[in-house]
Amino acid sequence: MTDTLEQIQSAVKIASFKSRGRSVEKRRAKNPNKPSAAWTITSRIGTESGIALSIVLSTIGCAHARSDEGGCTMCSYLLDGSSRNPSSDELFNQFQDAMSKLDKESAPLAVKIYTSGSFLDTEEIPSDARNQILKAIADDDRIREVVLESRPEYVQDSIIAEVRAILDDRIIEIGMGLESSSDVVRSLCINKNFDLKSFREAVEIGKKHNVGTRAYVLLKPPFLTERDALLDAKQTVRDAIDAGVSTISLNPVNVQSSTLVEKLWKKQRFRPPWLWSVVEVLRYAHDAAKNSVNVVCDPAAAGKKRGTHNCGKCDTAFVSAIRQFSLTLDVHVFDDLTCDCQSLWEHTLKHEDVSLLVHR
Amino acid sequence: MTEFRVGRGHDGPARIGEYIMGTEVFETPLLTGHSISNEKMLQYGTLGRDPSNSRPTIAALPFSMKFEDIDKAGLGDFDSVLLPSLISFSSLDDQTSVLTLRHQLDAVDEIKETVDPSRLIVRIPENIDIDDFKSYIDDFHSKGIRAAAFMFDGYLGSTDLDSIILRSNLPASWLALALGKIDPSTVPLLYYTGFDVIDTGYAYETAATGVRLWRNDSEHIETGKQQRICSCVHCESIAGAKHSDLIDILQNHNLDVYVSILSESVYAMKSGRLRWLVESMTHVSPNQASIQRQVDKQIYSFIEEFTPTTGADNVPLIGPESYNSPAVKRYRDLLEARYTPPEGKQIVLLLPCSAKKPYSDSKSHRRFLESIEGALGSASGRVAQVILTSPLGIVPRELERIFPAANYDIPVTGDWDAEETSLGAEALITYLNKLDPSCTVVAHVSGGYLGIVKAAESRVSQSIIYTTPEASATSWESRQALQETLVDLKRVLQLKDTPPRQLEEIVRATADFQFGTGAGNILVPKNAKLGGKPYRQIVCRIDKEQICSFIADTGLLSLTLGGAKLIAPLNRYWVRLDAPFVKGGSIFAVGIKEADLSIRPGDEVIVLNNQDEVIAVGRSEMSGREMCELKRGRAVSVRHKVEV
Ligand code: SF4
Ligand SMILES: [Zn+2]
Ligand SMILES: [Zn+2]
Repeated sequence: MTDTLEQIQSAVKIASFKSRGRSVEKRRAKNPNKPSAAWTITSRIGTESGIALSIVLSTIGCAHARSDEGGCTMCSYLLDGSSRNPSSDELFNQFQDAMSKLDKESAPLAVKIYTSGSFLDTEEIPSDARNQILKAIADDDRIREVVLESRPEYVQDSIIAEVRAILDDRIIEIGMGLESSSDVVRSLCINKNFDLKSFREAVEIGKKHNVGTRAYVLLKPPFLTERDALLDAKQTVRDAIDAGVSTISLNPVNVQSSTLVEKLWKKQRFRPPWLWSVVEVLRYAHDAAKNSVNVVCDPAAAGKKRGTHNCGKCDTAFVSAIRQFSLTLDVHVFDDLTCDCQSLWEHTLKHEDVSLLVHR
Repeated sequence: MTEFRVGRGHDGPARIGEYIMGTEVFETPLLTGHSISNEKMLQYGTLGRDPSNSRPTIAALPFSMKFEDIDKAGLGDFDSVLLPSLISFSSLDDQTSVLTLRHQLDAVDEIKETVDPSRLIVRIPENIDIDDFKSYIDDFHSKGIRAAAFMFDGYLGSTDLDSIILRSNLPASWLALALGKIDPSTVPLLYYTGFDVIDTGYAYETAATGVRLWRNDSEHIETGKQQRICSCVHCESIAGAKHSDLIDILQNHNLDVYVSILSESVYAMKSGRLRWLVESMTHVSPNQASIQRQVDKQIYSFIEEFTPTTGADNVPLIGPESYNSPAVKRYRDLLEARYTPPEGKQIVLLLPCSAKKPYSDSKSHRRFLESIEGALGSASGRVAQVILTSPLGIVPRELERIFPAANYDIPVTGDWDAEETSLGAEALITYLNKLDPSCTVVAHVSGGYLGIVKAAESRVSQSIIYTTPEASATSWESRQALQETLVDLKRVLQLKDTPPRQLEEIVRATADFQFGTGAGNILVPKNAKLGGKPYRQIVCRIDKEQICSFIADTGLLSLTLGGAKLIAPLNRYWVRLDAPFVKGGSIFAVGIKEADLSIRPGDEVIVLNNQDEVIAVGRSEMSGREMCELKRGRAVSVRHKVEV
């Protein structure tokens, strides 16, 4: 990187840090025995359909976001976390509290464990708590699939070996926020400080232990035009598939509080991606995946001002088609989507590139 | 090589020129957009993303594109290139704006082997500090870049204003592009403030949402709803058009609105009425009015610098936006700084303005003059006549033929608003303070004019007699009152007869106004001989040598070489050449070494050679700054020169 690019990167870092303001200090101490959130949805599990439980454990939050690195420009997950790090027992209580939602359900089930950071980071989740949780899952025969989330640097051989050993023959997938395969985009636009190499290594470690990997692909970080973002997401999908991931999860940026994205959005200098763009990336991903890689998308705040949206008239149809696609991988659900706003989106793709004026 | 050549003519910073891209020559001002349907428009697109074209285009470089890929991406040999920037990054703070420029500077070095710097266009970031801007522009300039693109968000708020203000700090030789959301009603203002290339992207954006643009508003087209009538060819089939056709129709219609308002602006520039057009657009919206006011306030000196000394025969000054228009404010400023009242005056007569210009040609003023003559006879020369008016403030009789005093056109109801009254009062105070305190002021005014005198009264030392405060100054009774007052004053002040000195007074006052204080006494010394008519031409001679002549049509003096030599020591309005003599009838910017920065287009200028000898006089065709900065173009039309 040139000097100037390095300075641009450090300016983004500082701006991202500043955007957090006092939000991190002002986090409240939450009930350490309750998860931040837990919900169930119908989902694809292997080739069948079943119930998936998502658990967001309340932890101290992502180390990257807590540090003076400023965290990622679009992410405020750490605000869901707690100002005090829960003990191992408390973490296990959170897990059990959430698991009670599955009491009446029958196989096949899936469990997805998120934290406001990395499940495999021992500073967030001590290894005894992690193993206790994984063992509880291993003891439940209904559960066929487990998804964990972590930054790639915590995906280490020894840890993955342990996870595989405990969970036995279940489908395991580790979700990692690749966001973009472009180093420039990842460092300048997202401020996510790991390189593509460490992501590729993590995928390899997973493969070695028959653990799948899920690449979170970000659509439209700040400082990109709509078309920059669209092309970057497609390229990232391509690169993630080439790296050998088992699932692509497309995340259109939504405007979260106390982030750099929010600051820009309030100044009219950011617009979340169009649903047209989301659909185009999903079509592309479906094509590139050739049915051997899973493609999912569960956009936050979709159809709202802070989330991916179109003109307002067609948003509901788009969002439900996207959900349908995630469930069925049937790309034809997009065939009937039409709206007058398509021309405005197409204009935006062309004109933002030339004018560098954010089109809202 | 790509080149921008500034052509001849100005009205404010607006100019015409040529943008030469290889074998194609685009006349500026120029519209730019995605469309290739219009021959005269310059197309733009993004390198590697939009289809390339056989004609030269403006190609935007994506930030992520590797410089070594530029060649394979299909860049045309004569395409201009918009340097890469991250969208919105400069909105963070002034440091990120600096980084945005620095990154582009790095890019220039990377690609200069592939793309000649004359083809590059700098993107000007938001938030950039003026001094940083200037110093970076210097860097780009020294690397051979001559074009800058400014961003407009269309709100006519601080972003758009900042872009205009930054543009005013660009060297005169640079091409200025306005990109972003630009409504047709803003086109005259952008052209006026010196933008040469204007983006029509908004024509497509609105068309895509079913909006038809008009010159100064817009209309949402809904099927089944009554629509405005448009006689353009595109709109013939608008009734019942289906969505995709409708977009095409609206795009074409909307583009035509840009074409037409830009052509209107160019035509107005050529006839000296661009300022008037810009002022008339302030009524489109409050935002339009406020950005115009801010422009006048914040970059007045830039606008004034390029505003010609003379202008249209008829200058309409209609609303408050005219009070500080450059021609008007410059008149007030020069009058205050340079004008000296003639000697020997004992009475100052304040008169109302007339609709007809010059005032002396109006019926009312002919009658005032009769009243003066009738009351004072051969002592009439003891009276200084001053006309009160808005928004010029005051016009001494000697200067009534100067621009814009002889040309302005206002709604003459005599109801001045507070700002006009205060402008008038200030001018009157300044004027009276230049006169002997023992002079008697006769205020032959009523209504709003009277308000001006009353507002000034406490701040002047002379005593003021009101002739007709209740009735219109032009009525028979009022004129009687004026005549009686003057008769009384003649007796009380024991006014002596004086030979008529009208010709000297006109030429002296004009010389001071035109060339600065002191010029009048140099060009018209006591022994000067004047002949001619104030309404045609006055010739001034010293010892039989012609020095200068006053041309009533322009209200200005033309110098002879002799006159130029006389005032050369004042060190004003000079143009210095590198050569010993002038060849031909024009002097081009390329031959000018230095020029007085106070020169405006249309000024009478004195041409010096490399020995500082006067070698010619003529009329400037550009401002002094342009003479220094431009490498081409006609700078001076020579009238007289030293023959070799
Ligand atoms: S996206 Fe992941 S790494 Fe980035 S701040 Fe959020 S939790 Fe941390
Ligand atoms: Zn729509
Ligand atoms: Zn039409």
